[in-house]
Amino acid sequence: MFIGTEKLSHIYMPGTPYATKALEEVSFSLDRGDFALLIGPSGSGKSTLIQHLNGLLKPSGGKVIFEDRELGSDSVDLLALRKRIGLVFQMAEEHFFSETVYDEVAFAPRNLGLDEVKVEQNVKLALERVGLEWEVVHDRHPFQLSSGQKRLVALAAVLSLQPEVLILDEPTAGLDPGGRLHLFALLKSLNQQAGLTVLVCTHHMDEVADLADSVLVLNRGKVIMSGPAHDIFARRQEFNKLGLSLPEVTEVMHCLAAAGLPARTDIYSLEQARAEINSLKRRLEK
Amino acid sequence: MKNRPEIAIETRKLAYHYPGEENISSPAVYGINLSVKRGEYVSLIGPNGSGKTTLLKLFNALLAPTDGEVLVEGISTTEEESQTEIRRNCGMIFQNPDNQLVATTVEEDIAFGLENLELPSPEIRKRVNRVAGELGLEHLLKHPPHLLSGGEKGRVAIAGILAMQPSCILMDEPTAMLDSKSRQDVLGAVRRLNREQGLAVVHVTHFPEEAARADRVVILHQGRLIEQGPPALVLNNLQLLHQLGLQGTASSELAALLRTDGFSIPQEILNCQELVQSLCSSELKN
Repeated sequence: MFIGTEKLSHIYMPGTPYATKALEEVSFSLDRGDFALLIGPSGSGKSTLIQHLNGLLKPSGGKVIFEDRELGSDSVDLLALRKRIGLVFQMAEEHFFSETVYDEVAFAPRNLGLDEVKVEQNVKLALERVGLEWEVVHDRHPFQLSSGQKRLVALAAVLSLQPEVLILDEPTAGLDPGGRLHLFALLKSLNQQAGLTVLVCTHHMDEVADLADSVLVLNRGKVIMSGPAHDIFARRQEFNKLGLSLPEVTEVMHCLAAAGLPARTDIYSLEQARAEINSLKRRLEK
Repeated sequence: MKNRPEIAIETRKLAYHYPGEENISSPAVYGINLSVKRGEYVSLIGPNGSGKTTLLKLFNALLAPTDGEVLVEGISTTEEESQTEIRRNCGMIFQNPDNQLVATTVEEDIAFGLENLELPSPEIRKRVNRVAGELGLEHLLKHPPHLLSGGEKGRVAIAGILAMQPSCILMDEPTAMLDSKSRQDVLGAVRRLNREQGLAVVHVTHFPEEAARADRVVILHQGRLIEQGPPALVLNNLQLLHQLGLQGTASSELAALLRTDGFSIPQEILNCQELVQSLCSSELKN
């Protein structure tokens, strides 16, 4: 197994009246190079799960596995792990604390004790990978940037460690439509060109459904669906019952099918929908 | 809500400069003339950095105009002795609920504003229970807010505002962290109060599907109001939206693509139902 969990459970505030079972025997695995989505209603345990994957939370039961080895509690082990598994929090730019973009992105590599020449190399590469121009941004105060740019700096701050796995919690929250498209295009290229394994936790399926290889659905701390994206998205009624939604273009195709038309419903992007409706029209005309 | 003025919020030549901004020639907002009627639902869209949040803060006297004025129910926000009154009438819901949750349990949090108003306990209890019911929070009343999920926190923040029975509610991307069911719960509750009790709503959103449900859509760009009108018109002006890095709804975008492929589809498509109905009644009739 590359990365995943076996019967992972987590209880918040155990032994108090507020004890809450956030995860219950969650098992899943990702292959190297996967682009996976983690979805589920609010409160289903998504954020709790991803915090286990780089050792920020310790299991109450079960295991977290990375490259066939169980994560131990040894601190050296965890440091190495967090270098390889990068976690981008929700609204990560709210945690910025440095005076310049350079210092913000350099924080993690410096913490690992790299010399300043190597740190600068990493920072340059990370900014380049997110498409921010070194000359324009490295000297600026992070708070002077636009929301979209701040989010990219937050991503660069994680990429500066050159992780192999990138986990993102609601990476597009608060971004405008242009910013959302840009960020997802970037994640796609990090996945396809640079070979990063990507796990995105999101409520907004419109831009990302088309990119996913596999999907994990949590509800009340348990895995209720997991598998290839096309198989999971085909279970629309179960989705709706959970209060989740598929992309709007997928809904359009389902509505056409419900109206008695022989429309394909495994459609997740505008261009796919456009092609299928054109093809449907030709098929009907014959 | 009788005897309240017809106009909830009115701005005249409103402008605002952030202090210390190096470029004095590009104010955060400029020349805004806008009025929001009682019972009206206005959605405010625009790219990141276009001045949407600044405008909301000017509406409830968190910021004072650099030039021009803001009248809330006829009272200028610069009259210091009226600011408490303005903020009670004009409740603000911030993007990130963590920024407005203050108490140690959900019920205390919802009651916080009411206690400040020195209302009698039975009345506080009644209002807390009512809004908790409306937003599906009954089972969480004794829980500490910081251990709730993002969606639950969002609903607690909104409950705390609605309990004050404001005449106007300002929402800054209230659904950025919510799942699709919580989005419907929250926006549904606000919409109901808007319809039934004449609550005026200003809703900043990056989701065209949400803007599509407003009575009026207003577009901000570089601090200026550049377009406004009914959603069916504004959200189908795709040329303008794309130029600004914005998008129409998935259905309006798909309709536009199909029109260029020769489909005859009316201009004013906003949602899945309208698009499917149009396709079924003409192009895909079998």
